[in-house]
Amino acid sequence: MSGQSTTVTLRKDWEGGVSPFGVSYGKLFMWFFLVSDALTFSSLLCAYGFMRHKYTGEWAHPNEVFHHFPFLEGKNLPLAYVGFMTFDLIMSSVTMVLAVEAGHRKNRKQVIMWLAFTVLGGLIFVGSQCWEWYHFITGPELSATYHGVYRDYIMNGRHIIDPHFTGANLVVNSYTMLPTFGDFFFCITGFHGFHVFSGVIINIIILIMVANGLMDNRGHYEMVEKAGLYWHFVDLVWVFVFTFFYLL
Amino acid sequence: MADFFEEYEGYPNYEKMASHDDAHGKVIRKKLWMVFWIMLIVTLIELAIGAFANMEEINKEYIFIFFTVAKAFFIVFVFMHLGDEKKALKYVIIAPYTLFIFYLAFMAITEGVYSWHIKDIISTVAMHQ
Repeated sequence: MSGQSTTVTLRKDWEGGVSPFGVSYGKLFMWFFLVSDALTFSSLLCAYGFMRHKYTGEWAHPNEVFHHFPFLEGKNLPLAYVGFMTFDLIMSSVTMVLAVEAGHRKNRKQVIMWLAFTVLGGLIFVGSQCWEWYHFITGPELSATYHGVYRDYIMNGRHIIDPHFTGANLVVNSYTMLPTFGDFFFCITGFHGFHVFSGVIINIIILIMVANGLMDNRGHYEMVEKAGLYWHFVDLVWVFVFTFFYLL
Repeated sequence: MADFFEEYEGYPNYEKMASHDDAHGKVIRKKLWMVFWIMLIVTLIELAIGAFANMEEINKEYIFIFFTVAKAFFIVFVFMHLGDEKKALKYVIIAPYTLFIFYLAFMAITEGVYSWHIKDIISTVAMHQ
């Protein structure tokens, strides 16, 4: 009997005339896009995991590399700034979901306010990442006691011998003997940072559309919801990058 | 695209269906802020373990991965509203991805550990020659 009732509900959903998933085509394809994008990120992180396991013991310790904090130079605050960045992205994710919630109530003023906060949070994150890249590339400041790391490498076809190399580029870095560490840092955080950047642009466009009253003319705020899906996905990826790149 | 759907009479307008009143909105906002506090506390615990605790005896990895998956669950099911969607959509999004990610992680870690062993063996053999 139970099998029969299941068949009835299935036929109701799947016999046509309605969306079997109960969502509009735009939202469904946003989900499909996000799944494929998530697979891209997971393959990057799995490649990172492969290298991390292959070079166990030689890999850099992230809490010794990322211990700077803006305006508190010279202090050893391991992972504090990355923690702030995570907080910032989670916070902007909350403001985004509040914008979506306000959109369901068709409250234009609140949508504008929460979307503006989301854009601000995204800009803070992109700026923080620029700051972190700058410190990663230039490396720790040279002090009298710091001897630097002797490096002998080939870059852009030139043979470079640098007795006081600090920082990182794509072929050499002073945190570990493995160039892969710098490569993965640039690749993974850069790819994620590009997603954040494009998310900020999308949010700004949606914000302008909402401010112009386009969503009120349509009678629904689903564009906010779709942009929100993308923005939450960016936050989701950062949660994984934060764990696998910075904490482990 | 709009003309395409207008040809089908009685096709539900899903865009306009996702709406609620002020009273229901209050309940939803309370839930969202609670999830935010949970995620903030989890992140702070993770940071404290990662930065200060020197736990060689406990396996930090499993704690971190557990917390990360918990946070991912909250983001996907509460913030992205997948928990409110139909069962069919939940399975279509979660099931293929989970299957593939287990396979990918298993491959990467197994091959990584193998390469680490083989690296030592190769260097040992090279030393004895």
